[in-house]
This record gives sequence, C-alpha cells and structure tokens, in this order.
Amino acid sequence: MADYDRRQQGHHNRKRRYRDDDDHYDRRQQRRRIDSVPVPVRLRRQLLSIADSPLRRWSEEVQSIARMVADNYDDENLRSTFVSLAMQLVIEQPLKTPFVAAVVLVANTLKPEIVDAVLTPVAQDTETKIAKGEWRDVKLYLKFLACLQACLEGDGIFPLLEELFSRAADLQTASSEDTIGTEIVKIILLTIPYIMAAAPGQFQQKAADLMDKTDIIASEPHALQALVDPYHPDPTSESASVSLSLCMLLQKQLQAEASKNWELTCIPRPWNMPLEEIEAQDKLANAPKHALPTISIPSTVIAGPRPLFPEVYFSVYADQEVESVPSTDSVASSLIRDGLTDTINGLHFNRNATARYLIDLDCYFADDTFVKRATPFDELRNAAPGKSTWKPEDVAVDIVFAQLFQLPSPEHKLVYYHSVLTEACKLAPAAIAPSLGRAIRYLYNNSPRMDLQLSFRFLDWFSHHLSNFGFTWKWAEWSDDCSLSDLHPAKWFLRGALDKEVRLSFAQRIQKTLPEPYQPLIGPEKEKDVPDFKFSNPDTPFSSEGQEIGALLKRKAPDEEFQPIIDKIQAEAGERALDPVVASTDVFMTAICWVGSKSLSHVLACIDRSKERLLKAANSSPAAQTQVLAAVMAYWHAHPGIALSIVEKLLNYSILTPSSVVRWALTDVSLVDGASAGEALAQPHIFELVLNTVTKVSFRVRQLLTSPDADEETRNGETKAMQDLFGLLNDLLVSWAGGNKDELMEMGDGSSEPEALIRRWGQRWLRVFKRLGAIEEAFVVETAKEKAGSSNGVDAV
Amino acid sequence: MRGEVRSTVERLDRPSAYYLSRVRASQSIPNKRRRDRDDNADEAAEPAVDPLANATTLYVGNLSFYTTEEQVYELFSKCGEIKRLIMGLDRFNKTPCGFCFVEYYTHQDALDCMKYIGGTKLDERIIRTDLDPGFEEGRQYGRGKSGGQVRDEYREDFDEGRGGVGRALQSEKSRYDD
Repeated sequence: MADYDRRQQGHHNRKRRYRDDDDHYDRRQQRRRIDSVPVPVRLRRQLLSIADSPLRRWSEEVQSIARMVADNYDDENLRSTFVSLAMQLVIEQPLKTPFVAAVVLVANTLKPEIVDAVLTPVAQDTETKIAKGEWRDVKLYLKFLACLQACLEGDGIFPLLEELFSRAADLQTASSEDTIGTEIVKIILLTIPYIMAAAPGQFQQKAADLMDKTDIIASEPHALQALVDPYHPDPTSESASVSLSLCMLLQKQLQAEASKNWELTCIPRPWNMPLEEIEAQDKLANAPKHALPTISIPSTVIAGPRPLFPEVYFSVYADQEVESVPSTDSVASSLIRDGLTDTINGLHFNRNATARYLIDLDCYFADDTFVKRATPFDELRNAAPGKSTWKPEDVAVDIVFAQLFQLPSPEHKLVYYHSVLTEACKLAPAAIAPSLGRAIRYLYNNSPRMDLQLSFRFLDWFSHHLSNFGFTWKWAEWSDDCSLSDLHPAKWFLRGALDKEVRLSFAQRIQKTLPEPYQPLIGPEKEKDVPDFKFSNPDTPFSSEGQEIGALLKRKAPDEEFQPIIDKIQAEAGERALDPVVASTDVFMTAICWVGSKSLSHVLACIDRSKERLLKAANSSPAAQTQVLAAVMAYWHAHPGIALSIVEKLLNYSILTPSSVVRWALTDVSLVDGASAGEALAQPHIFELVLNTVTKVSFRVRQLLTSPDADEETRNGETKAMQDLFGLLNDLLVSWAGGNKDELMEMGDGSSEPEALIRRWGQRWLRVFKRLGAIEEAFVVETAKEKAGSSNGVDAV
Repeated sequence: MRGEVRSTVERLDRPSAYYLSRVRASQSIPNKRRRDRDDNADEAAEPAVDPLANATTLYVGNLSFYTTEEQVYELFSKCGEIKRLIMGLDRFNKTPCGFCFVEYYTHQDALDCMKYIGGTKLDERIIRTDLDPGFEEGRQYGRGKSGGQVRDEYREDFDEGRGGVGRALQSEKSRYDD
C-alpha cells in the first residue's frame, strides 16, 4: 500500500508545483482523480489501516470495508485481494485480527459466500502450517477462526482444539522433555479467550471441559524451564523467587476469567455495533452459519523450523508500587503480550512499523484498557478506584525487553530488538524515554541475580542504545558504584558498558559524558589510538629484536629474513631458562599488533602475510599458541574490542584453537595484566571472548550438521571437538563455582567477600555454558534422529 | 523478491531507488514503461538475473570522515561476522571520505543489516546502507572531482564530520577571498 500512496502523493506534488502559479488550476479534476482509485486498491488501503486511527470508529470502518467487498463481489480481483490480504494481516499484524474478523462477520450479513471464500483457504493453510510445525502461524489462524466462532456451525473450532489437545497429551505422556505438547497447550489456551469474546455465553461448558484437560500439562513446571529461567539467584540468598512459565500463568488466568463469566475486558469487540445500529447488530445475530472445512492433523506432529522452549514470564516493571503493566494474575498480561510479541517478530522487516505499533498499542484493545498515552508514572497513583493504571508505553517496552531477554534466544537477532526500541524512542521520546529509564534501573539493580548471558545482553543493548542518543544518561545516580570492587556485578556492568560505548565512539567523547567518579574507568590508555610498543623500551627483554622484527614487518620483508632474528631470540631465551618458542612468539605477535595498529585492515593484512610462521609457532606447543593470544590481548588490553576482532580472525585461520582461547581465559589471564586468579571471570570482555568463541564453534557445527555437502568425518570430528570444548569449560568452571579451585582456596577459608564474589561469578559462568552445551547437544541429537528417520524412509513431514 | 507476495508494510531489506535507477539506466529501459507499470503488473522490466539475489555486500554511506574501521566493525558485527571491510578513500589523499563496503559471509546477514542497522546512528550520524552486488577494486575511491564523494562536491550545508561545505564551493570561496 505504502508504495501506491507514495506514488499518488509524489504525482500530486509534482503537479502542484507545476501549477502553483496557474490561476486556472481546476481542483475538481484532482478530486476526480482520487475517486477513480481502483476499488481493489482502495480496499487494500482501508483494510491495511483498519483500527489504526485513534478515533476508534471501528464499526464504521468495519462496515465500510464489508460493504465494499460485498458490493463488488463479482470482481474476482477484488475478491482475491480481500481474501489474501485478510490472511496476510492475520499473520503479519495479528493485533488487527479481531477487526479483520469483524469485517468477515459483517460481510456475512451482506453476502454470505464471502465467509466460505475466506474459511476454505484459511483452513487449508492452517492444515499446512500444522504439518510443517509452524506453530506461531497455526496460533494466529486459530485466533482468527476463534474470532469467527459466532458464524461457525455447531461447536465451531472446539473439535479442532480437542484434537490438537489429544496430540499434545500423547507427546507429553511419551516424554517429560517434550516441548511441542506444551506449545500446543499454550496455543489452545490463547485461543479460548477469543472464542469466548466472539461468541459470549455459549461455550462455557466446552471451555471448562477443555481447560480441565489442559490443567495437567499446564500446571506442572516444564522439565526444561530451569534452563531458560532469566533469573539465576545466588543459591545462598533467601530471595529465591519462582519464575512462572507462560503456560502455567495462562491456565490460572483463564480459570480466574471463567469464574468472572469471561469478562475478558481487554479484548476489542469490533463485531459489537454501537447502540444506534441495532439493525446491523440484529443482522449479525441472525446471519447464516458456515461449516468449518476439515483441518486434518497428522498423527505425528513436529517441532518445525524453530526449536521450542518453555517461555518464562519476564517483566522489568514487576516490583512497582503501582501496577503500570497488567499483573500476572490478569489474563490481559498474557493476551496483550502475545499479540504484540507476534507483531514484533512478524514485522521484523520494518522496524519503523513495529515501533509504530508500540506507540499505538492502545488502538487495538478495548476502551479503558490503558491510561492515556504519556501519563507520567507518578500520576498513576491518582487513578480512580477500579480504573486501569496500565501505561501503554510501559506495557509495550516491557514486551520488547521480554523478547530481548528471552532464553535461549529470541526469534531474531538481538540488534533487531535494539532497533525497535531506538525507533520507538525517536517516534515518541517524551512518552517512551521515562519508561525506558525505569526499565534500565530495574535491570541495573537486578542484573546480579540474572543469568549472566542476559546481563551481558543488557550491557550490549544499553551501550548501543545510548550511542543512538548522544550517549546521554543520568550517570550521577550510580556514581557511588564506581568505587566498588572490580569483582562487584555493578562494576562489571559499568566497565563493560563504558568500554562498549568507547568502541562505538572514542574515549575523549565518552569521558565528556561522564561525571568525575567515572573518569578512572576510562583511563589515559584508552585515549591512545596506538598503544605503546613494549620493545621500544630498551629495558624490555628482546627489545632490539622486537624493533628489528617490527621494521621487517613494516617493509614486508621476505620470510627468510625473519629467521635469524627468531633464532637469536630463541637461543637467548634458552640461556635465560625461558621457553624459546614462547619468547619468540611473543616478540613476533606483539610486533604484528604494533605494525598493524593503524587499523584492522592493516593488522589483518599483516597476519595474512605472516600466516605460515604464526601457524608453525602456534602448532609447536600449547604454550606457544597461548602466547599468540596473550600477546594480542596484552597489546590491546585498553581496547578489548580490537583484541576480540583480531582473535576472531586468528580463529578463522586456525592459528588459535577454540580450546586454547577457553583455557587461556579461565586459567592464564592473570599472566597478562596482573589480575589475580579468578578476576578474569569478572571482566566483561573475557566473558564476551569466550561467548563469541563458543558461538562460533556451535554455529560451524550446526552448519556442518545441516549441510548436505559436509562429509561424515568432518561432521563427527567437529562435533566431537565442540563437545570437548563444552566439557573443558565445565571442568574449568566447576571448581570456580564450587569454591574449591586451588587459587580460590589459597585466598582463605572461603568466607571472605572476594572469594564469595568469585565463586558467584563461577556459578554464573557455569550456568551459561552448561545451557549452551545442553542446547547444542540437543541439536546434535535431533539432527541425528531426523537423519535416521529420513534414511529409514519414515520422514515425519 | 520478484514473485514474492507484497507484505502488508514496506520492507526495509530492499535495494534503494538509487540502485534500481542505476540498474535500469544501464539497461536503458525507457522511462515511460516504468511509470506506467501498474502495481499488479508483472515485473518483466526487472533484470532477468538479479545481481542482488545473493548479495553479501553493503554499501554504507554518510559516515563521518573520522569514523574508524573499528567502529564500523563494532556496530556491523551485531548482524553477523564481517568477512571484509573496505573503507572508502579520497582518491588523492587516501584518507577516509565517508563511505565503506561491508561484506558478510551470508546474504541473510546483509539483509538483516539493512533492516536493523541502516538508518541508525554510528558515531552520532544516521548512516545509510544499500545492498551491493559486490566490491570491485577501484570502487573504494571517491568519484568526485576533488577525490572525495560526488555528494561532497557541492554540498551547501556545513557538515563538520564530512569536511565542512562542499569542496567545490570551498575552492570557489577561497578564490573570492583572494
């Protein structure tokens, strides 16, 4: 639609400019042109923008579109435009589903055939989606059908839901780890409220019976839920709150709603006409009923393209004195969240449209669901009793954060959710910014008890977000935390966030945005674009050799010219009882970093030219390989972002192995910057380094497992290497987490604060990498199963 | 892209009008044909083989002259690992002149970059991304008369991050001053 509008407008502007000075300009002509817009185009425009207007003329809009379709029903182009667009809207912009359904319901009173023209393809597509395991689309179609319940024959979609439930029950009986059954139950529970709102007072018993059945599955915490809980409280602390899954919440919320005779106050009911239109309402009540075409469900249902996990409810506005978002007792919390989440994930191809939805959220729900837009939080307290205190901005922002902080990972790249928040902030800064501020404070205060991967996501989002808004933040409120120990999680966040800000900008710029107490966090070393070359200092051992190698690298000397100097270093090192290869590797790699310090291109070109020599050195001993990494990390210690980019390329060249990175990070870091053992666990960039490395390995294995071209040997080899890597991580982290690491025991009896903090870091690291390991292991098992299945010719699809 | 159902809202992972106009110009399809094309008409006027169908490279524009490779890396890595980054340089001074090419390993990463990074800020400037059929040697240099980008020749606004006002205007001004 957008393109059509734009063209019209552009055309119009051009003409206007042309005729601006023309006194005989005939405006009637212009009007005629607009009226002559072809009906399918007008239909597209009106249907796409349904319910967008804050004027909320729902019944007018619905009736006008329905009439347009009915009046032009003979036009095949129009008919197909309507049907396909309705189906597309239901999938891409599901907050509009009730409104699209209302159009169909009204059309039913004018031209009943329209309903069958819609039901047939919807039923067909639902069947296809079920077979493919595309459960979100299944849910969205069921929601649409549920809104049409009033014009369906007999029990409408209940028999379909019952059959779906029986599949879920079978799966759950077979395995407690099954996630498809849980997903199906969630879908059933999310469909019921729309049936009850669309056909009030008719199906209470049916709903009650179905909910009796889902109760068994929905009331038990899922076996995998602990794995994806956003919170990871210190086991020694008292505050072990229990997180709830969406499924468990829904079951309870619906039971509560049933006892209130299915009020479902937040659901819009555009099929209810205003009082003055009794006639239209009468027609709706007496419109013909239609049979829902058969939707068959295969005996074995599959998980589909996206792995399924139980969803844990997460809110950044959980602990407020006034409820600015629906509490988990209310079914509105699940319904609004479900609708907007699907919209966000469905509209990933236009973040501006998504942001618009965040701002206009109140348009798509019943009157009085929310307070007025941009109501300040402090004013919520003054709301009249019984009135809503839900702030639409808070609700919207909360839902984006719930996606950003979803474990193991949300549907799209994290940066998508960053961009949605950025655009929302640009569209309505005055409304959104205060909500974001409270979210940030919540996350900052709760980060220590959150999963470490999520704390890292917070830090990454926060710095990226500020980079889009001039790096302004009320830093003063956290000033006291600057003096905390580097082992403290708040300090971890501050150091990590500021480092990332500097990476996206530069030190001097960021220093200017910070109050005095923060200045030590961005020291003079960060201001230097080219770090000092330690071999320039004559007191450094091997300084002259270091400078010579630097000079050779600079003039791109042939390889043989390096050898004599390397030999010299190694001989001298031997005399000083140093590892000769480690010594020469340190000189060589440090010189590469220095020579390449002008830009990443320079250093990468330099590495590329020295590849053979580096490979030989790295393969000669584990200590030498570690030294390659240590030299990079040491040279760029003030700019970890650059170090990490270089390491990424060294991994690609196989100069570094993933296990050498992990081993160095968890055992040897102290050798570099004098940090005491265990402190590396409290450095954000070390976590980033290991996370990046593990992600890279997992990604590669997944590629191999799913690519038809990969040979069995490579596949098995790389899978084994990945499993070993997770094993190594586990071995190294278990002792830190348990407090029985040698270095930790040397510090004392385990009761001091630093020891407790390090132990806690160990636990947080361990949880992350255990989860990642478990997820990759599940992927390996699944693909093996699929392969066995397809080679036996029993393809599930 | 072609043959796909049009989405209910515009997609951000499409080539820009600039790119399309260049492709069409190079194939000399008459203007008339384009304007008359109806929304639902088949898009026969499009090139038969879409050079962007598997594009992994992006042209990135409106960078500050002071933005470094490292900054570009930091931001663009959020969409996937970067295979190669080529900074746009002034043809004569060999200094950054405000654009670059970012090459990813996959087409999907490039599309995601269009959707999530194009139009956001880097170094406090709104940057522009466009799908690109691929970097070729020589394209890293500005095509403007004075060595930089053409758009920086006659720019009338003062843009501190891009060397003030347009170069051509600057040299004119200095002529008057003398």
